[in-house]
Amino acid sequence: MSNTTLSPPARSGSLYWAIQAKRNIGVRGLFLVVLGFMVAYGFLFHGLFTGSGFAKFTQSWFPLALVAMAQAILMLTGGISLAIGALVSLGAVLAATTITGPLGVAGGTALVCLAGLGIGAVTGIIVVRLRLPAIVVTLAGSFIIAGAALLVLPRPGGAMPPWLSDLLAGNTPAAFGVLVVVVLLWKLYLATPLGLSLYAAGENPVGAYRSGVPVDAARIAAYAISGLLCTGAGLFVAAQTGSGDPIIGNSFTLNSIAAAVLGGIGFLGGQGTMRGALAGSLLLSLMISVMFFLGFTPVAQYVAQGLIIIGAVAIPQFRMRAR
Amino acid sequence: MSIRDAGLLSRSRILAVVTSRPFLTFAIVALVWIVASFVSRGFGAYGHLRYLVELAAVIGLVAAGQTFVVIAGGIDLSVAAIVTVAAVGLPLFAIDADPTGLTPILAVLAMTTAIGLVNGLGVALLRVHPMIMTLAMATFLQGLLIIIAGGSAVTASNPLVTWVGNARPFGVPAGILVWVVVSVVVLVVMHATPFGARLFAMGAGPLAAKLSGVPIARTTMAVYGISGFMAGLAGILVLGMNGQGYVGIGDPYLLASIAAVVLGGTSILGGLGTYAGSIPGAILLVTITALITVVNASPGWRSILFGTLILALLLLSGREAARR
Repeated sequence: MSNTTLSPPARSGSLYWAIQAKRNIGVRGLFLVVLGFMVAYGFLFHGLFTGSGFAKFTQSWFPLALVAMAQAILMLTGGISLAIGALVSLGAVLAATTITGPLGVAGGTALVCLAGLGIGAVTGIIVVRLRLPAIVVTLAGSFIIAGAALLVLPRPGGAMPPWLSDLLAGNTPAAFGVLVVVVLLWKLYLATPLGLSLYAAGENPVGAYRSGVPVDAARIAAYAISGLLCTGAGLFVAAQTGSGDPIIGNSFTLNSIAAAVLGGIGFLGGQGTMRGALAGSLLLSLMISVMFFLGFTPVAQYVAQGLIIIGAVAIPQFRMRAR
Repeated sequence: MSIRDAGLLSRSRILAVVTSRPFLTFAIVALVWIVASFVSRGFGAYGHLRYLVELAAVIGLVAAGQTFVVIAGGIDLSVAAIVTVAAVGLPLFAIDADPTGLTPILAVLAMTTAIGLVNGLGVALLRVHPMIMTLAMATFLQGLLIIIAGGSAVTASNPLVTWVGNARPFGVPAGILVWVVVSVVVLVVMHATPFGARLFAMGAGPLAAKLSGVPIARTTMAVYGISGFMAGLAGILVLGMNGQGYVGIGDPYLLASIAAVVLGGTSILGGLGTYAGSIPGAILLVTITALITVVNASPGWRSILFGTLILALLLLSGREAARR
């Protein structure tokens, strides 16, 4: 940049940070809003800065953060999923029925992850190879997955080992640690060939295909990863509640879309950043907590939530037109 | 023009109709009905089929608005909430001075149309993505519902609403008659008016449509207004058929309306399609649900069957064009 005397490796390093800073431009306003809510929340809830308070807060955010990432990956490739909630439910009931069973913690967790990866990959293959619109395939898929969750556990039940619940949803910020690992893994994934193809496949599939980018593989992989994140969120929800519920994930479908769009992810693919989607999910989560602490009635919560979402999406549009 | 040319023309036209998506969907419905009536006794009875079509009328009404929105390149995720608002809100408008019960119906339809117009306002002027705008509207209405209903069910005491839900002039349920009238009007507006032409232009390419002089903002608002109106009409019909309105009464109609539109061959990407396909699409959905009930499976299997059947039907011709 301005300092041209730097050695080449250092210069490429500063270039990296310059690009990263540039990608923040679109979400800077959002970061400020999130910070504002964070400060408000800190004032209302003094326990936020203690270890257990921080742990509790990150635990309420964690599943939403995972599903926001799951939705964001798909939207970056130009897809979308309406089956997020059903997958979370399926993950929860699978975890609650297998982890205390003969499979044990390792086997149960592996089964939950494999189910997410497998269902995601199948969805991706149907959407990409059979060229069906993603919104309708995942809509139909949500019925199939929700049905499977009902077969596994017709009514709320099952169990999670108490020590696992304590570890993930107790007084330690383990959930936050897992989230950090997930974000690091995402950064690593972006450096692999498939990860690099992700944005290209979403922004301009034809151009990317003609340039030799594995467009289909990138999109199918995105669906598989998205499924994994969803069932992972389901496992956490099961640990949080100590049992499985076949409809517990329903609200996540709409919230995941809201979080991703609040975070500046475009519907057409290739636009937006994962940090934006994470900030969007954090904003949603903070909003709900702050309104709860302010003693908003459910009515006012719904109304305010609707208005804030529209406002957050509309204001950048106005600023862009004013420019 | 020679006679041979005319013959060719009509033959190619017949071929076009027979291979068109609405016709195919109708054919599937007919096939399913015929097979099901052989397999399951009572399925093919006139009374049962009439009942199926009556149920489909509600989906068909919601799908009418949804078809407009989808063809124009949007999507309306607030229809379920609007159906509920109409069904639960109707008794609030009851006026003693009007014994016919027409005033509350008009008031509710005006209200739901206004809700749709607000959706359109957000999409057209605030440039909020339709999915987010209508989703936020659904959240907003959920709050409103708690205020007006307070969680309890309301009973339909409006004579006209009860009539629409239960009467059978000439042996045909009034709901079906309403649907037939609405279908004719919708098809005419969609395919034989300048407004309809603008709709398709907008869905196919918003920029090209704008540069060609289509009033984008006005057309968008009109489209969502129509969707709100249709959802309101469906809410009144469902209130009349059920006799009771409660929070959540409209929930099944969001997915059903989108599925009916897509099964009818309308592209979810906009610019392509017809309400003539959504009509058999709605009947097909109700038929599938009825068949699954006949099978007498557990709720889990029923849900799986429903999803799988929709996926299979999509494969028949809901496919997008190849990339290269």
